[in-house]
Amino acid sequence: MYKTTGFIAWAMRRFTGVVLALYLFVHIWVIGSATQGAEVFNRRLAAVQTPFTHIMEILLLAAVIYHGFDGIRLLLINWFKITDQRKSMFYAAFAISAILTIVGGIPMLLYALEHM
Amino acid sequence: MTADNTNGARRTAQVRVQRFNPDTDRKPYLQTFTVEVTQGMTLLDALHQIKTQHDGSLTYRRSCRHAICGSCAMSVNGHNMLVCEQPLTDHLDGRGRVTIRPLAYLPIIKDLVVDRTSFWEQYLRVKPWLIPPENIPEQEFRMSPEEVAALNNAEQCIMCGACYSGCTVVALNKKYIGPHALLKAFMRVLDPRDSAPGDRLAGVDVTNGVWRCHTILNCIDACPKHLDPTHAIETLRNLAQKRQAYEQARRERQARLDQPIPQEEPSDV
Repeated sequence: MYKTTGFIAWAMRRFTGVVLALYLFVHIWVIGSATQGAEVFNRRLAAVQTPFTHIMEILLLAAVIYHGFDGIRLLLINWFKITDQRKSMFYAAFAISAILTIVGGIPMLLYALEHM
Repeated sequence: MTADNTNGARRTAQVRVQRFNPDTDRKPYLQTFTVEVTQGMTLLDALHQIKTQHDGSLTYRRSCRHAICGSCAMSVNGHNMLVCEQPLTDHLDGRGRVTIRPLAYLPIIKDLVVDRTSFWEQYLRVKPWLIPPENIPEQEFRMSPEEVAALNNAEQCIMCGACYSGCTVVALNKKYIGPHALLKAFMRVLDPRDSAPGDRLAGVDVTNGVWRCHTILNCIDACPKHLDPTHAIETLRNLAQKRQAYEQARRERQARLDQPIPQEEPSDV
């Protein structure tokens, strides 16, 4: 593949998009069980309350934040055609995503460690 | 001249060229040639030296040597460029090597020559020629500086294929019109002399047209003329959504094509 910042952004956007779509299935699988009674709902909720899933939730947070900010970057390009700033906009979206992931991920990590 | 090797008074560079002969090879491979570096030597000069002094069977396209014919677009160290305008020493790595491959995502005919059939087929889809109005002025068409500026230098495209080959969407979907053809469609749509902007916009306002672009922006990075196909695609997307109003504005504009300066044009182009 032709490797540029645009390609990296696209690949990450696609990957995080697939991750979010897959997460939605799990999310619906858990939440949807509420229609089958409290016992089923609690059982499914407990199934995803493991140290592994707590760690995975941090990665989910990273995927959500990056996908969102990359979407904003794309909208700025689509609406304002500021293509000459394409590289710096990618770096900015990535840096903001990384910072917010760290800020949000630390308490999640501490919570996961407490419940191991 | 930092990366090339020194051998007495002679400086050399290792040029790795992708070779492929469909009659004898199952798949492409890299072959390394040692070339003598001379002052002002371009990558194309290096290929010439290989062909004349090392292996006459090396096959590649070239013509004008002035970065205007677009024949010699190739992938150098993974980036598309015209090898006739690129100094060899600018692309040598720390070990004095450079790697030259044919344009990616296109079938290889032999060595560095690719089959551009899909490139030209997509190009023809947008009818890249001018469709003039019936009332052609007796003397000349008049365009304002604003109208020329709105073209964003699109007329400078030399159809080298660097953007088409660099496009990830093209790599995954050969039905996509491609940045080269969309840039040409943009140029014709914005050309006040053209009388079919509505048909052109309808032609690119399709699934494999402007909406297939994922704004990966490789086309801009790949273009040796520093053009902006993404800007063109975004403009076409905007105009496609107000096609009828744009057609009407064009008809009004063409009624005064022979007059000095237009009074108004669509504002977002």
